[in-house]
Amino acid sequence: MITQRLFVAGLTPRIQIVIALLVGAAVLVPVLNLAFPPSSPFHVPNYMVALVGKYLCYALLALALDLVWGYCGILSLGHGAFFALGGYAMGMYLMRQIGARGVYGNPDLPDFMVFLNWKELPWYWHGFDQFWFAAIMIMAVPGLLAFVFGWFAFRSRVTGVYLSIITQAMTYALLLAFFRNDMGFGGNNGLTDFKDILGFPVQASATRSALFAASALALAAGIALVAAIAGSKLGKLMVAVRDAESRTRFIGWRPENVKLFAFTVSAVMAGIAGALYVPQVGIINPGEFAPANSIEVVVWTAIGGRGTIVGPILGALLVNAGKSWFTGALPELWLFALGGLFVAVTLFLPKGIVGTYDQWRAVRRERRLAKADLPSGPAEAGDVRIVRASSATSPVPQGGPEPQPAE
Amino acid sequence: MRGNTSLVVRLASAGLVAAGLLASPALAQEDTIKVGILHSLSGTMAISETTLKDTMLFLIEEQNKKGGLLGKKLEAVVVDPASDWPLFAEKARELISVNKVDAVFGCWTSVSRKSVLPVFEELNSLLFYPVQYEGEESQRNVFYTGAAPNQQAIPAVDYLMNEEGVERWVLAGTDYVYPQTTNKILEAYLKAKGVAAEDIMVNYTPFGHSDWQTIVTDIKNFGSAGKKTAVVSTINGDANVPFYKELANQGIKAEDIPVVAFSVGEEELAGLDTEPLVGHLAAWNYFQSVDTSENEEFIAAWKSYIGDDKRVTNDPMEAHYIGFNMWVKAVEKAGTTEADAVIDAIVGVSVPNLSGGYSAMMPNHHITKPVLIGEIQADGQFETVWETPGLVVGDEWSDYLPDSKDLIADWRAPLSCGNFNVATGKCGGKGIN
Amino acid sequence: MRLLRALGLILLFAAGFGAPAHADEGELRTIIAKFATSKNFRETEAVVRELAATGDPAVGRPLGALADGNLSFRKSDGQVFIVSEAGGALTLLDPLSGGRSGEAASREVTKVRVNNSLRRAVREAIGALTLNSPDAGVRLSAAETMFRSPDPEAIDALDAAIAVEAVANVKSRMEEARAAAVLASDLGDSEKLAALKTIERRGDRTALSLLAAVKGRADGVLKGAAARSAANVRETLSAWDAAQNVWFGISLGSVLLLAAIGLAITFGVMGVINMAHGEMVMLGAYTTFVVQNVIRASYPGLFDWSLAIALPLAFLVAGGVGLIIERGVIRFLYGRPLETLLATWGVSLILQQAVRTIFGPTNREVGNPSWMSGAFEIGQMSITWNRLWIVVFAFTVFAVLLYVFKFTAWGLHMRAVTQNRRMAASMGIRTPWVDALTFALGSGIAGIAGVALSQIDNVSPNLGQGYIIDSFMVVVFGGVGNLWGTFVGAMTLGVVNKFLEPYAGAVLGKIIVLVLIILFIQKRPRGLFALKGRSVEA
Repeated sequence: MITQRLFVAGLTPRIQIVIALLVGAAVLVPVLNLAFPPSSPFHVPNYMVALVGKYLCYALLALALDLVWGYCGILSLGHGAFFALGGYAMGMYLMRQIGARGVYGNPDLPDFMVFLNWKELPWYWHGFDQFWFAAIMIMAVPGLLAFVFGWFAFRSRVTGVYLSIITQAMTYALLLAFFRNDMGFGGNNGLTDFKDILGFPVQASATRSALFAASALALAAGIALVAAIAGSKLGKLMVAVRDAESRTRFIGWRPENVKLFAFTVSAVMAGIAGALYVPQVGIINPGEFAPANSIEVVVWTAIGGRGTIVGPILGALLVNAGKSWFTGALPELWLFALGGLFVAVTLFLPKGIVGTYDQWRAVRRERRLAKADLPSGPAEAGDVRIVRASSATSPVPQGGPEPQPAE
Repeated sequence: MRGNTSLVVRLASAGLVAAGLLASPALAQEDTIKVGILHSLSGTMAISETTLKDTMLFLIEEQNKKGGLLGKKLEAVVVDPASDWPLFAEKARELISVNKVDAVFGCWTSVSRKSVLPVFEELNSLLFYPVQYEGEESQRNVFYTGAAPNQQAIPAVDYLMNEEGVERWVLAGTDYVYPQTTNKILEAYLKAKGVAAEDIMVNYTPFGHSDWQTIVTDIKNFGSAGKKTAVVSTINGDANVPFYKELANQGIKAEDIPVVAFSVGEEELAGLDTEPLVGHLAAWNYFQSVDTSENEEFIAAWKSYIGDDKRVTNDPMEAHYIGFNMWVKAVEKAGTTEADAVIDAIVGVSVPNLSGGYSAMMPNHHITKPVLIGEIQADGQFETVWETPGLVVGDEWSDYLPDSKDLIADWRAPLSCGNFNVATGKCGGKGIN
Repeated sequence: MRLLRALGLILLFAAGFGAPAHADEGELRTIIAKFATSKNFRETEAVVRELAATGDPAVGRPLGALADGNLSFRKSDGQVFIVSEAGGALTLLDPLSGGRSGEAASREVTKVRVNNSLRRAVREAIGALTLNSPDAGVRLSAAETMFRSPDPEAIDALDAAIAVEAVANVKSRMEEARAAAVLASDLGDSEKLAALKTIERRGDRTALSLLAAVKGRADGVLKGAAARSAANVRETLSAWDAAQNVWFGISLGSVLLLAAIGLAITFGVMGVINMAHGEMVMLGAYTTFVVQNVIRASYPGLFDWSLAIALPLAFLVAGGVGLIIERGVIRFLYGRPLETLLATWGVSLILQQAVRTIFGPTNREVGNPSWMSGAFEIGQMSITWNRLWIVVFAFTVFAVLLYVFKFTAWGLHMRAVTQNRRMAASMGIRTPWVDALTFALGSGIAGIAGVALSQIDNVSPNLGQGYIIDSFMVVVFGGVGNLWGTFVGAMTLGVVNKFLEPYAGAVLGKIIVLVLIILFIQKRPRGLFALKGRSVEA
């Protein structure tokens, strides 16, 4: 498709601009937040910093999903699990930083362990008092889970809906597991009441601004990474696997390895997103594993436009801003609005906002070219034709027997 | 490419518009006192919390009829945290820093309270929390108007032990913090009373558990050992209906194995045919059937407000009633809605509760309440079969858990501490630091 | 049950049947009058015991009324009555004769308060008095009560009752009660050994604990015999436990089957992932609620038929909504199955909120008709009627669907479209209509599943959410596009879950099942009954 062609070159101007914007925000927002007094019109309130910082983490998660779904055709309904695992790793670090400042003043055990009569720290909590260890775990745990899960699933050629459902089973099983108090992760309450991160109090404005900046920079780095992957030969291979897995296999490639790579990288990105999310919202609990959350990530990506890099980010920001606004402004009716939005977008903007915009622009350009009756360059004309073909696809499914594989 | 740039510009402007919309409520007129209502109106907890939202709107309307507060009208700000715990924190922040509310009434689950605690601490605002909970917490900005374990669980167990002669105990609960802690406390308490370990069965189920066949059979088997058996249920909201349906169908009668529940009130029973459940028990601090004139008035006013003669009242509603009146009185006493002044003024404030007495706010930010044990009746109401002779003070740090028995909370100056250790004489748990 | 018991009592006394002793009526009235002055449950209980000690069967009426919470006294003069409520005013009945003795407003009388231990005391007090009741059910419960609280002094009364008893199972219960009484008495070993055998024959857990108690306090030959009997009982019980687990598994499996089979159809035929499927189940449950409400208000006599009436309506409501969704949304999305997932997710949010707005967020009461209440016993296994009917219902639905698929033209079309959509279209099958009707059928089945689930679960806006993930697991495990796959999948998951639950606990059991599904899919990436095809993907 045209969008991929555009990204073959890697960092297109559009992506450069988005990265520049994010880096700009990472610098500007903290300055506006800290340097200007609250009375100043230029002041960015703490509330907005925390809120947008949270959205940026969601955006990174959506981008991670886009890498596997948009580029590699793996619809994961369990990406929330990687996000939550990263969040838990960070949460464990933050819990250990509380030290003896918990309500019971126990220097070795988090509060929830004290009142449930745990006598000593479980083995898997060791090491989390060091940031470097937690940082490794933030990436290693989701990455490893994705690697093992993907290793089995892709090798067994579990595809399409089956893969989607077992990723859902995975996150659901983790949800139930983390709910259990015996697991030693705080059960339903999760991990909360954080005090410090790297020695800075998490509630201070400066720390919040720093976390915001970190989120923006992480997102920028994520964009650069995805763009680089998409622009590389591997990226082409991923698209090939997405569009015709069997054909790719018959040509001699190993689709499972391509998928495994994308899945693992994506899980690590999701883990980082989760780790940045936790100190900003101040809590991590099993609710993040809920299958509904993972489905919501898919919805953001679809609304923004999958297979584009800007799309999922836009989708995550828009849907979450909408949710924040609706839940305050229309508390009784917001689900109608949100539900209606999902239906409307899938019906009227099947390629998502960015995808539809690109399509519309391409069509307009073609018309302009036709009107001017100028001979167009071969590459560009080729692109246009592809766009028109895909937009004119008949609603009749083209696959063989049902069910359709996850496209 | 110009097209790309314009897209980005459009995005940025859209973002600004959204930000403007978010900020706009703050610009509303300033001659009202704003009260935030933070209860889920959608998602899994809507089932319980929506009623509390209505209760708050009702109480605020009643107060405005009486002339408002400090000469101003009260204005309710309702948001929907959608049973999503991080969203609770976000919405709390929005209520306090964008909508500028002076107090927030809200939360149901412990996790939602835990999620908003740091926000209230950071922004120094007030939260009134109306639900029975596991204790082990006392925070300067939070007022716990629901029951602590000693105001619900322990009297209920005492009742069963003394009045019904129960010797064998099933502690059944949903696997989360409230049942876990309550059961830990109860286990310690029962053992202190000489109950053997093999006479206690502890069972946990997931949220929304709907297939109770195995567990109810287990309870039946556990209860057929020749000793009088009772079930202490900390099963959470949604799972109760299938649990009671299974109990009724398997023919477990209250005379044989009574079930005493801490999370089943009039609202939950409204979804059930209670004919086969007559005699099963619940422990609360209020029942709709309580025979006092305050209660009669409250129920009549509530029914006419909600416009439905069948709507019931329940314990968390009473908690909001008490909490709201305490806040009103404290604000009047302090002459301002400013948080620090209200926190100082509210300790010692005492307002009538609906069961015929006065509830007072204690220095540990918990309140005094009577404890009532009621039996389920065929009409879906409870009949009080026992009540504590006086009011019980909420004990935030349980005496039956080894690490919390030395702790007390007292938010009055000069102590002003939520976890003062009486053994070491220091604030901050064990006082090691 | 309470009604039954009260009825039995009234019959008993109306007939003036088999009264062992008659106390002076004035004396009885003096005792009954004490109910008005008792200050707490203990005093009330003492009055109950005093009444029972008279041995006069006439006390059954006031005691029964007390247990049912119908005994009150007038505030003005402290006279005790049985009250019955009719249209706001209370009718006062004489506690002994049951004759009308006036009316009162509810403020004028005070109820004699009861609690569980009082009800238990009343039950025990009435127990011995009702051993000769003409109602077999009353005699049975009397014998059961006497078994649970054995009293050596009742042996003679039991002997007399056993001699005239004609109903076999009542007789054996009485013999068991007698055996329990013998074991508690100081009779000789030979009598007690025979009694042990009787108890062993009963073979349930109550018998086991009785045997264990005997083992504890007896010595010599009796101790050994009690230990042997206990071991035998334990052995049979463990076999019954396994059977019970299988039954629980089947019954859970049936619930899963009902919830999942509609999904399997839409999934199989259309490749559509319908996230709003759970909401169709919810709509069915709410239809039942509305039907019952109308029946309660207008035709109370039809209540036992409410489910039968709700079934077709639920099918139509959910099917109709399904049809609207298909025509309004899904048909534009064919060939993009994952986008239907998003759209139907949106639809599910809308439906949930709509129900919340219309019916309120709280649980709604859906009653069990009398034929779905209670339980019966097979050996040492207790089977509840509602579970049994749900199993029967699930199997019936499955059989009907199987028939539709195998033997009707529409079924043929559906199968054709499932196997090869384009070929089917080429052969003249109007695939859009097949799609629309299939979706409506799948939704309709979900609707009738909702009727069944309303009997065992909450009727709340969240009802559907609880089943959707389990349904997906069943469909994927069983294999898409095959009804048998769904059937076997549901039953397997149900039984495995129930066998894991006693060992691992409900939470861990569920986790293990999910992990097993994930592993199983590795082995068979297309589920248990994969659709055979020539596609490389299959």
